[in-house]
Amino acid sequence: MAKLFVRRRDGRIEVKLNDAGRDVVREAFGRVYVAEHDADHEWHRTLNAPIDPSKDADDPLAVLARQSETGSNAELAVATVHEEFLNDAEAWAWMTTMQVALRATAVANHLHDQETLEASESELRNYIILLQGLLVALADVL
Amino acid sequence: MPSVKRLRDTSTDSTTVTSADTTVLTERPWNVVVWDDPVTPMKVVVVIFKKIFGYSDNKCTQLMMAVHHEGRAIVWSGDADRAQSYCVKLQVAGLLATIEQDS
Repeated sequence: MAKLFVRRRDGRIEVKLNDAGRDVVREAFGRVYVAEHDADHEWHRTLNAPIDPSKDADDPLAVLARQSETGSNAELAVATVHEEFLNDAEAWAWMTTMQVALRATAVANHLHDQETLEASESELRNYIILLQGLLVALADVL
Repeated sequence: MPSVKRLRDTSTDSTTVTSADTTVLTERPWNVVVWDDPVTPMKVVVVIFKKIFGYSDNKCTQLMMAVHHEGRAIVWSGDADRAQSYCVKLQVAGLLATIEQDS
């Protein structure tokens, strides 16, 4: 199977996704970006999980830092989705934003354990498997 | 050498260390906990641990396996501010992470 991401000798990461693959990641990156800015988005809860569950509210500065970093990563991922080569920072933004999208998809669909995942609709399960494959392929070169 | 004794005060979050000429108040450490979830690939967890903590491949793999088999693992312990900062980094990277004070 051809590699989807290849680390070149100059350090850059070549993206070998076809148009369909880029459409998948573009859609995932875009949803994370929107969810971070929209309190009513179904992914917003995942993106705002408690830091210290024993407290009624988390430190506002920590919450702001998380919001800012998640938004920046998503923005960078969206901005580089057409690129043929990524540097390490861009590839990290791709991986983290895709991982956020993966977990948010699972939480929004109440997939909290292996049983619920295996019992989920095949379309949803296939989408999750697709994102997992992209993530592993990218993680392999980071 | 001055004698040192540790007095554990269970009603507070701290341990008092006293000696003949010093008294130091040390807080119980804060733990950064990563929780298992059914979708995150193992390889991704290892890469995230390595990037955020700079741990060796072996340690990252051991921690990942602990998360996978035990449902959670303490991946870092120390002061509250750094624990919170690491937790935010892990959450930004898409992992299910929280902080808790050592019991």
